[in-house]
Amino acid sequence: MRTDNKILACVDQSPYANVVTDYAAWAARKLDAPLELLHVIDRDSEVTESEDHSGALGLDTQEQLLTELTQKDQIRRKVVRDQGRIFLNVLRERALATGLSEVDVRQRMGTLLEAVQVQKDSVRLYVLGRRGASGDRTQRDIGRHVESLVRVLKQPILTVSNEFVEPRRVLIAFDGTQMTRRGVAMIASSQIFRGLPIHVLMAGQKAAGTTSAADRQMEWARQRLAQAGFDVHTHRAQGDPEIEIAKAIQDLEIDMLAMGAYSHSPWRSLVFGSRTTDLLRSATIATLLLR
Amino acid sequence: MDSIKQDWFSNVRNDLLAGLVVALALIPEAIAFSIIAGVDPKIGLYASFCIAVVIAFAGGRPGMISAATAAMAVVMVTLVKEHGLQYLLAATVLTGVLQIIAGWVRLGVLMRFVSKSVVTGFVNALAILIFMAQLPELTNVTWHVYAMTAAGLGIIYGLPYLTKAVPSPLIAIVVLTIFSMLVGLDIRTVGDMGELPDSLPVFLIPDVPFNFETLQIILPYSLTLMMVGLLESMMTATIVDDLTDTKSNKNRECVGQGVANIASGFIGGMAGCAMIGQSVINIKSGGRGRLSTLSAGIFLLIMVVFLGDWVSQIPMAALVAVMIMVSIGTFSWGSLRSLKDHPKSSSVVMVATVLVTVLTHDLAMGVLTGVLLSGVFFAAKVGTILTVESVSEDEGRTRNYVVLGQVFFASADQFVDAFDYKEVIERVRIDVSRSHFWDITAVTALDKVVLKFRREGTEVEVLGLNEASATMVDKFAVHDKSDGRDMLVGH
Repeated sequence: MRTDNKILACVDQSPYANVVTDYAAWAARKLDAPLELLHVIDRDSEVTESEDHSGALGLDTQEQLLTELTQKDQIRRKVVRDQGRIFLNVLRERALATGLSEVDVRQRMGTLLEAVQVQKDSVRLYVLGRRGASGDRTQRDIGRHVESLVRVLKQPILTVSNEFVEPRRVLIAFDGTQMTRRGVAMIASSQIFRGLPIHVLMAGQKAAGTTSAADRQMEWARQRLAQAGFDVHTHRAQGDPEIEIAKAIQDLEIDMLAMGAYSHSPWRSLVFGSRTTDLLRSATIATLLLR
Repeated sequence: MDSIKQDWFSNVRNDLLAGLVVALALIPEAIAFSIIAGVDPKIGLYASFCIAVVIAFAGGRPGMISAATAAMAVVMVTLVKEHGLQYLLAATVLTGVLQIIAGWVRLGVLMRFVSKSVVTGFVNALAILIFMAQLPELTNVTWHVYAMTAAGLGIIYGLPYLTKAVPSPLIAIVVLTIFSMLVGLDIRTVGDMGELPDSLPVFLIPDVPFNFETLQIILPYSLTLMMVGLLESMMTATIVDDLTDTKSNKNRECVGQGVANIASGFIGGMAGCAMIGQSVINIKSGGRGRLSTLSAGIFLLIMVVFLGDWVSQIPMAALVAVMIMVSIGTFSWGSLRSLKDHPKSSSVVMVATVLVTVLTHDLAMGVLTGVLLSGVFFAAKVGTILTVESVSEDEGRTRNYVVLGQVFFASADQFVDAFDYKEVIERVRIDVSRSHFWDITAVTALDKVVLKFRREGTEVEVLGLNEASATMVDKFAVHDKSDGRDMLVGH
């Protein structure tokens, strides 16, 4: 099986795993790329349990404790490993059922960040859930791993939410910056949206009036995509990009959004908030983040 | 954010429970270590509270317990005896400053020069020092004290067979205290040993003259305290790393220990460091996060300040029993069994570390001895791994020497002796491609060999110097320079 240029689907034991698998399988078919399902066992999340509060130190306590903890860990780890394997195999069957001929699975100990970094040279697209296993408990809009993962990775990342909808119309959030121009070029040269109509939306201050710079940038995007054979529709909207993008998604019946992500430093995001996070929160459809 | 959540709040219930167990075990230890250092119990109790709280935030190893320790206490005895408490507080602050510097210059990496045998020796010596510090409480006393100590040990080791839900050292202390008060035993109590805290600690600046003379007095102690403190902390961090199968940030821990000690000095506490026994107790009780260390410090202060009257009634015999438990738990009994299996040099290093520490009452001296001895043994071992093979060629006109192994100060003489200078021969080839020249002594030895052959009228060729060795030879060798013969005299 080919292992380079693969689609890496990051799954955890949550309802979102099915959706992640479906989108990853869709991307693998479109790109004719190998698919790998990655499940990370985050051992830090394990909470300890101890019945021994005696506080007594006997002969060679430290050695005995090490042996005891190792044995407990070994038993627990085996169970987790087996559960993970079964879970991954179910997802593998699901991906194969969509018509793919090969799907690889991989289970790793450690953190998700470490796991994806180890493989970053052989991956062309990451697929991950916008929320993870703890999503239902924490009521978070965006999973805690998403931002740190997106900031570290340089490849495109497809973040998905609650259900799989085969993409039929795509919206590119475009603001003329270097990052979004690179994104347009990337999409133009990729097979992923081949055959789908593409809408390009410029929203916010830049779209206001008829500034010649905005016009030129929009025209550049239109031409770049049209030359690549896409059916392109351009839109301009004045107002808050977050609201305008959400509105366009609804009005144009868009089912996949592509946009640049986290172009500002984490410090700036901490102080002023992050537009990417806001957009991810408001967009309920699958979103392709371009870096 | 993730790591804050992970370090602090991933194991709240168990961390708080473990913190409570640790706090209960810390009370007798902090008092006993103050007594070892020759200061009031409140000095050790304030220090333990402060160090535990500060290190919970500043340390590099979640789940590790730091407080006033025996290892540090034995270093300060003379300073307190000769110059008094205020100098100890100043030395504590200076220790903290030195530890922060050590962290900044990443001294944590020096731990790799401390071999396992030295670490075992340190731990064993520490256990012996803790035990020896109890002997004054057990000499020239009535039989009641022995009976109380024995009863204490009985409860500490017996109770866990019945229940592990409560700390058995605490039960031993409570039972013995109540018994001694009811019967009205005339034995020494904690109250007899000095002042206990009755209020929260306050900020104060050590009352010492800020001049060079003061620095001269405290610096040697601070240096030793820094070294012993960091050594025990690094070792304990490694133990906790192993037990929890997670990694610690050793350099952050060095800086954290420094910050904690500075804080301790400024609230009237003694210097401290990580504690092997308490950290093991913490992990054993389910503590893993920073919350366990923080709660241990806070519980300790609450209990001591509000239960001070009861604490002063604790018989010293009960504390002695707890300290004997700590020394038994700290000693690596397995190391005695492995004395016969381990290489002799490792055993000698371990025993030497213990002996020097126990004789000098100075853990730093013991460790230094151990590290130096390990170095000497290592050099001797590697030095013997050197062979020189030879074969004659060209009908006896040429001899090829092949050098295999490490050439450095310990093997240089062996290297020089391996050649036959008196052989009647026209040309010598020395192939050093499978050897390495480590230092000036090695280069000098190569010089010597080449020049000795030349004196006999033999042509010499050195082949296959690896890059690093070649750099050394280029820089320091004389045999390849025109006036080599004259320069050699200078070697």
